Amino acid sequence: MGRIFAAVAIACLLLLPLLLTGPYHLHVLILTMMYVVLASSLRLINLSGQMSLAHGGMMTVGAYTSTLLVMKAGFPFWVAMPLAGFSAALIAYVVGYPFVRLKGIYFSIVTIFFSEVVVLTAQQWQGLTGGNTGIFGIPRPSPVVIPRILRMDFSSKTDFYYLALVLMLVSLIILYAVERSRIGLILRGVQQADSLAESIGIDTTGFKVLAFTVGSFFAGLIGGFYCHYISAISPDAFSFLFTIYILVYVTVGGEKKFVGPILGAAVLTILPEVARPLKAFMPFLFAAVLIAVIFFVPEGMAGLPDLARRLMPRSEKRPARA
Amino acid sequence: MLEIEGLSKFFGGLEAVSEVDLVLNKGEKLGLIGPNGAGKTTFFNLVSGVITPTRGRIIFEGRNITGKSPHDIARKGIVRTFQGINIFPDFTVLENIVLSCHLKPGIGLVETVFRTAGSRRKEKAILSRSEEILDLVQLDGLAHVAAKNLAHGHKRILGIAIALAAEPKLLLLDEPLGGMNAHEVSETMALVDKLWQRGITILLIEHNMRATMNLCQRIVVLNFGRKIAEGAPEEIKRDQGVIRAYLGAGGHAA
Repeated sequence: MGRIFAAVAIACLLLLPLLLTGPYHLHVLILTMMYVVLASSLRLINLSGQMSLAHGGMMTVGAYTSTLLVMKAGFPFWVAMPLAGFSAALIAYVVGYPFVRLKGIYFSIVTIFFSEVVVLTAQQWQGLTGGNTGIFGIPRPSPVVIPRILRMDFSSKTDFYYLALVLMLVSLIILYAVERSRIGLILRGVQQADSLAESIGIDTTGFKVLAFTVGSFFAGLIGGFYCHYISAISPDAFSFLFTIYILVYVTVGGEKKFVGPILGAAVLTILPEVARPLKAFMPFLFAAVLIAVIFFVPEGMAGLPDLARRLMPRSEKRPARA
Repeated sequence: MLEIEGLSKFFGGLEAVSEVDLVLNKGEKLGLIGPNGAGKTTFFNLVSGVITPTRGRIIFEGRNITGKSPHDIARKGIVRTFQGINIFPDFTVLENIVLSCHLKPGIGLVETVFRTAGSRRKEKAILSRSEEILDLVQLDGLAHVAAKNLAHGHKRILGIAIALAAEPKLLLLDEPLGGMNAHEVSETMALVDKLWQRGITILLIEHNMRATMNLCQRIVVLNFGRKIAEGAPEEIKRDQGVIRAYLGAGGHAA
């Protein structure tokens, strides 16, 4: 069932650019796919019982890494973008050990500070980062040409669309494989009872850092993609509010299930585009949706089928009795 | 097996555990008793690495494990249970055990992500071992029930089963009988005895005096963080110091 659904969804995504030729529609879809990866990777960190708010900071790290590697060190984009992910992962690994000593809300607070430190560093280190104005004219990815079969030169949004699609699918496959492996089981165990997990020999600190590192890798990777897509980067591109939005996607979509953040990111990115006249009220609308979900569907949109199933049998039985 | 020398833990001016010496032999059933606040749980926390001692040494199988992290100590073979309920509530009973089994049989983490043939075989072995453990503790009929929905007594048994799955050589049981009815008490004590017969050394903290006296070969009594008596159950029952500590006869014993 899930597989068939995924196959149909992928086929639709592959064919979509043939129907939607307007660059604006493609732009929205590219952003949606980025948010899907960001929300899904944030959920992996949350799975270990720690709520990271460093995702924006990690994206900034990735974006600057990729930009500087391409523009100052002459790396090709195809090497720089993965390195953007690895640089965020490396930083997450290094700061992870001191950070995860703090539990609950205290961990979240230091991750906010971390993001602020990243922004300040990018603003102050003017020689390298161009300071507040940021960096413009970041080159497009170098063309991919397989003679007679494929030619992508990234002059159109369609090429970026397919690159984002590949990134999203690869990221989701990796995240899914990690979650259903032993690592996923252990992380969920740590989330539920970390001192019990420690008592049966699980290195809980190590696994929390692992989740933070892997999750941050994808934030860095998407940061690397985004700056080449937009062709500009500035220190405050991914602000605190940006990270909060990602967190809202996770919560509204439903944290317990793998599809949750995918649904959350897709619906909450596309919905505001449909309701464009209300754009100025978007933060209010987001807050309203968030509160409604927390109160009425605590398991998020991914929990709706279960909820419906729980309510359905009752309505079926009634006529039978009558 | 376990040698403890001069173990002390001070919280500010409070001597929670003070200069305790203890030798535990392989294959023993030792009971640790004492009035409330005597330092029994602090003692467990020290041995299992949850807190580091102010002074003293803990030697396990000839190796100094003082100050090691809890997961390290668990891997060396000392596994503890907790006072009260400590389970993975959202997992099923079987998943609780599977998670705990996953430690030993050396499945590489990367291996499980790629689902190699080797890792699938090991997963199968873990599943059958988990089922054996559930048989042993008689929770096999409840394997697919969410742990949070179990009855109180079953939750406590599951707590012991989780510890058991981590393959302890020495099992530290912290008040396993708390809140159990008479029937559950006798079943749990029978289970502990069964584990002992399988070669697991037992160190038991318990307030249920009769059960402790029946089960254990040797008993150590703590009061105000100090060891005040040690010996066979019959000797402990007659020990004047122990009686004073519990009943407070003749003013403060400390």
